[in-house]
Amino acid sequence: MFGQGLIKGLSITLSHLFDKKVTEEYPEQRPFLPPRFKGSFKLAVPKCIACGLCSNACPNHVIKVESEKDENNKKKLTGYKMMAERCLYCGFCVEACPTKALLWTKDFENAVYLREWVNLDLFNSYVPSPEDNKPEKPEKDDTQAS
Amino acid sequence: MQILINLADGIRGWIIGMGLSDTSAEMILTAIGALGAVIFILLHVIILLLAERRVSAAFQLRRGPNRLGPLGIGQVFADVVKTLAKEDIIPAGADKFVFKIASTTLFATALLAYAVIPFGDGMIIQNLNIGIFYFIAIGSTATLSILMGGFASNNKYALIGGMRAVAQMISYEVPMVFSLLGVVMLTGSLKMSDIVMAQKDMWFIVPQFIAFFVYYIAATAEINRAPFDLAEGEQELIAGYFIEYSGIRWALFMMAEYANMVAVSAIAVTLFLGGWNAPFGLTFIPGFVWFLIKIYLMLFTFLWVRWTFPRLRIDHLMHFGWKFLIPVSLANIVVTGIGIYVYRMITG
Amino acid sequence: MLKTQELALNMGPVHPSTHGVYRCVLTLDGEYIQKAVNHIGYLHRGLEKLAESRTYNQFIPYTDRLDYCSGLANELAYVMAVEKLLGIEEEIPERAQYLRVICAELQRLASHGICVGSFALDIAGSTGFFYSFRERDRVLELITRIGGNRLTPNYMRMGGVAWDLDEDFFKELKQLMDEFPAYLDEYDGLLTGNEILQTRSIGVAPVSKEMALSYGFTGPNLRACGVDSDLRRDEPYGIYDRFKFDVPVCKNGDTFDRFCMRIREMRESVKIIQQALKDIPEGPVMAKVPKVIKPPVGEVFHRIENAKGHLGFHLVSDGSTKPYRTRIYSPTFVMLGAFPEMAKGTHIMDAVLILASIDIVLGEVDR
Repeated sequence: MFGQGLIKGLSITLSHLFDKKVTEEYPEQRPFLPPRFKGSFKLAVPKCIACGLCSNACPNHVIKVESEKDENNKKKLTGYKMMAERCLYCGFCVEACPTKALLWTKDFENAVYLREWVNLDLFNSYVPSPEDNKPEKPEKDDTQAS
Repeated sequence: MQILINLADGIRGWIIGMGLSDTSAEMILTAIGALGAVIFILLHVIILLLAERRVSAAFQLRRGPNRLGPLGIGQVFADVVKTLAKEDIIPAGADKFVFKIASTTLFATALLAYAVIPFGDGMIIQNLNIGIFYFIAIGSTATLSILMGGFASNNKYALIGGMRAVAQMISYEVPMVFSLLGVVMLTGSLKMSDIVMAQKDMWFIVPQFIAFFVYYIAATAEINRAPFDLAEGEQELIAGYFIEYSGIRWALFMMAEYANMVAVSAIAVTLFLGGWNAPFGLTFIPGFVWFLIKIYLMLFTFLWVRWTFPRLRIDHLMHFGWKFLIPVSLANIVVTGIGIYVYRMITG
Repeated sequence: MLKTQELALNMGPVHPSTHGVYRCVLTLDGEYIQKAVNHIGYLHRGLEKLAESRTYNQFIPYTDRLDYCSGLANELAYVMAVEKLLGIEEEIPERAQYLRVICAELQRLASHGICVGSFALDIAGSTGFFYSFRERDRVLELITRIGGNRLTPNYMRMGGVAWDLDEDFFKELKQLMDEFPAYLDEYDGLLTGNEILQTRSIGVAPVSKEMALSYGFTGPNLRACGVDSDLRRDEPYGIYDRFKFDVPVCKNGDTFDRFCMRIREMRESVKIIQQALKDIPEGPVMAKVPKVIKPPVGEVFHRIENAKGHLGFHLVSDGSTKPYRTRIYSPTFVMLGAFPEMAKGTHIMDAVLILASIDIVLGEVDR
């Protein structure tokens, strides 16, 4: 009969009328973020050895590492700037870090008012936290901060 | 609802008591009735604005507007305020006078159709002898407003939209009229109150279901609603004939579309679904409320069809109208005529 | 006689139905198209030039952004091309090969989901759009578990994949694959069986076998014309020769066939993923690859069967860490070239549908 497909379409739509909605009501309901989620960056300054591997791995020259040599001739970090407006969020820097000092966070609400505020200064905005003790050797698979 | 009839009688008595003549009392009451119709339309436009978004969201497994107020009622106020506060832009090469009056005339024709709709027992603004014929005549004048809107905008998309709308609305008036003729033949009169009274025992949808089906499709095409909304085909013509309208002029187009939708539903309810008669003899609910319930059911089907079906192409639409609907509605008239004759012969 | 005039209409870069920033200048006679001229380049980002100043490893995130609806498949094509240049194709571990197949087929599901959804949107049955995006969202959640981002996961590496996936991922994947065929039946009921959609798309812009082959069509558009060609079966790359799947072929090559092909291919993808889930072995996921990749002097061309067609990478290496020339062969760029001939003589509403059925993605067309 002509019109059978139309009636089937109508019945499919009607059957979904009282279904559970798939909308996630955003500010009240937070989304589920899987473990490997790439949000923003966080640097554990005591763990950083200022090797510059992250800066070399970055495709787009986003990371700028400033260091100085202290009395034991070891490198110490003095500045760490990320031009996040150029960042591809690829994750090569986090993968390249040998001490797992640079980590991803789950913070995706990064909208700001001025363009300059997007860029991150991870050295000056570092907040010490108890899990930043330098481990003896780096963990196996540990790229998430929180 | 006897209360409205008593109110009307009371006002009439009060006016005559003040010393004015009978005719002026009738004129004042008609004016009050027209105002009531405008309020009815505006109320339903507001309800439909929100209902369309929430019902379509329910079909699509999402919530509609629900942040402003419970069930999103505040969304309507927000929309109204936003629309009124927008800048009134008239494109550079547009024909200013025609551009300005196009949306107003469309809303006016939508409003005029409400003069003959029977909301309840004795509740018609004007119980004309040519009731249904008046409605069809007013419905034809909407075509001109859409053509004005499309032509005066100085925009190729609007021009194409306006031309399509004219072709579509003119072609679908014929099946609409033919489908209503069956009901008029069964009743024997064009008066709206007679048609409703004739459905006391059996609604006309039962003997005239083909006519109801044809009327439904033709009405959807007349009011430019999906799946026949080519004139405002959002995917190709980005809003067709009202692409250059903004602010209150655009709001008048939207209001006219919803007002047309309610008017066409009201006619379908009056002619096919029994008007204000109660089904199964449940007369404790007044007729006015039954009328509203049936209108809301028809509106729901309009929304349901809109959000399920894709859009037809213009030549398919014309083929369907001229080559399928008109022969079917003509056949319906022939069969109805033969049926009436046979019925009269049987009952003597 | 009436004197008529042809109308020049601009379907501009900003339009609800051109899939991206694409401009087409149409010459209309009434409402029928006499001539259509493509104007592309609004999304050109210079990826091929960028590749000359990035090392082989650093270019992988950029390939994600080519056909942004299916990121992992583009990475796979590039990574396989570089592996072919390095000569390490045999050393990729088994588990990595199975994971690569799962990723590629998941992306095929996501990409065809967009095609079905936007076809429904362009024909004004927007409920179909929401239903197909409901599924695509579940696939994208799985991809977030893989790579961290929904559209640009950056997961493939030379010699394998970047990291192993945990039990949660496989459980979710299995559950989704069990529920997927029911969703596809729903699309069939709502969209494919709908008479209005069939009337609007059957017989519109039929493409014959000769025209398709001469224009260089590949992928589902070619199979819709009747040519039985699928790289996964004819020149299997990776481990595709171990999977049993049908290759759907349609006869007419019109818009309806191109649309139906996508839904049928989605069913085959579900079958492949289910077979891969059963057979996946344990093991390492990355081969022994030097940290700094310096391939020998030479050139290579490798292509895979993407959701849209044959995606190919032509790499020319001069022995250093950065490629001398990277050329990206994108299928939709080629098929968009056939659009003016396909659209000639059709109604303007059909032109929108033809564009939707070719399934262009401007990121790939413009690079």
